[in-house]
Amino acid sequence: MLLDFDKLGAWKWVLSAICAVMALFLLLPILFIVALSFGSSRWLIFPPPGWTLKWYEDLFADPRWIGAALTSAKIGVIVMVLSVALGLLASLALVRGTFRGRAVLRAFFLTPMILPVIIVAVALYAAFLRLGLNGTLPGFVIAHLIVALPFAIITISGALETFDPAIEDAAILCGASPWEARFRVTLPGIRHGLFSAAIFSFLISWDEVVLAIFMASPSLQTLPVKVWTTLRQDLTPVIAAASTLLVALTVLLMLVAAVFRKGKSE
Amino acid sequence: MFSAARRRGSGLGFALPATVLLIAFFVVPVAALLARSITEPEPGWQNYQALLGSTTYLRIFFNTFFVAGVVTLVTVLIAFPVAWALAIMPRRWAGVIFAIILLSMWTNLLARTYAWMVLLQQTGLINRTLQALGLIDQPLQLTNNLVGVTIGMTYIMLPFMILPLLGVIRKIDPAILQAAALCGATKGQALRRVLLPLAAPGLASGGLMVFVMSLGYFVTPSLLGGTANMMLAELIAQQVQSLVNWGMGGAAAFVLLVVTLGLYAVQLRFFERQEAR
Repeated sequence: MLLDFDKLGAWKWVLSAICAVMALFLLLPILFIVALSFGSSRWLIFPPPGWTLKWYEDLFADPRWIGAALTSAKIGVIVMVLSVALGLLASLALVRGTFRGRAVLRAFFLTPMILPVIIVAVALYAAFLRLGLNGTLPGFVIAHLIVALPFAIITISGALETFDPAIEDAAILCGASPWEARFRVTLPGIRHGLFSAAIFSFLISWDEVVLAIFMASPSLQTLPVKVWTTLRQDLTPVIAAASTLLVALTVLLMLVAAVFRKGKSE
Repeated sequence: MFSAARRRGSGLGFALPATVLLIAFFVVPVAALLARSITEPEPGWQNYQALLGSTTYLRIFFNTFFVAGVVTLVTVLIAFPVAWALAIMPRRWAGVIFAIILLSMWTNLLARTYAWMVLLQQTGLINRTLQALGLIDQPLQLTNNLVGVTIGMTYIMLPFMILPLLGVIRKIDPAILQAAALCGATKGQALRRVLLPLAAPGLASGGLMVFVMSLGYFVTPSLLGGTANMMLAELIAQQVQSLVNWGMGGAAAFVLLVVTLGLYAVQLRFFERQEAR
């Protein structure tokens, strides 16, 4: 009764209304930013008195924004590659391994995910000050890799668990070496998991703020750091333009993921 | 078959790169940070005494737990009806709402916080609307205080409450509620005595997750709360970055760490009991 939508009676409308209000609450601020990025008001008056592309022009005219975006992309891609590679190896150990203590090892690999990121950020900041890695590309990559890796491990080991090891064994029986079997049988078999892990890892690095604030130097900063430092000064519409581009990227990736899922289920 | 398995070895070697990385750049740095809380500026417990003995810091603890508590309560209250509806709605509508939840969750955190900074400012849309409706004379102070932090955090935490809860409600067998109806339960009774208890594990684990995440949150509280209304994560950052007081920063980090891990331990216990039933 309560779990049958058509038999809920008046409750159906109450639940639907709560759902609709919640959806608007989640959606409207995002649409609001998109609208403001095209609005002509420097003071973010809404509805905007007129429409303009000025804030996008400002954004693209400023080499610091472009530089920050390129840095973010570069770090994101390196983190993506390393995270999938290390995540794959770790998942092979966790899922296919026969040694004792795999559950403990798994919990250990996932710890960076549950600790507040501020603790990791401050701890790495201290360590990197000593190692001279602050404000360097490797510093950023290591910091982001620590928080991206757990997600890659979850995704890849999930895919690996559903892939029957007997297929790999069959390849070996047919004369493939264990490495050949892994590369030519298992890897293609779990490519969906690898692909999701890659997207997750890239997005985590691309969007990450807290670690990046501590790793950044005046000469090397990521896009979120640039947004952060600008936001602390004023609420300029240029940030609305930058945010809109980020939202567009999110929508694009969600669509890619949806198409991808559809292709997988067919 | 067995020879193939043997040739694969135990597989421990594959875990080596990730293990080395985590020990070198996670375990050791965090341990070193915590150690500094009892070694700097001089060996002893003075940092913890200061942290737990002064009203300034107690105020920060209060802010942190208060905001996390309110955010958890509000998200639970909103998420339950939403997850319930999502589980049983016609698929097309559920799909639309689900997509909105994912969009909001995946949109850049700073973009979302920026939206609320603009919406909640003195001349922002919310104050103007309330004034135009004649509900208030003077604009309300909605940013640079805990009101703004709570609104912004609720916005960010909602998906983390809805999604796990949806998973739990989807698994409930509708036949159980039909049985309740057949036995003469009214809708109110079925809700209170069947649906809510069955959804309780989801409410508890989602709520605990939101609470723990809120306790250590840094970005939204610092942008919407201002320096006068600090929370624990901001205190850690401020001690380390602005005041270069590593001892105090380490002590605050240790407190946050203990509370976080403690609450996760509670959750694990709780879940083991649930699954054992």
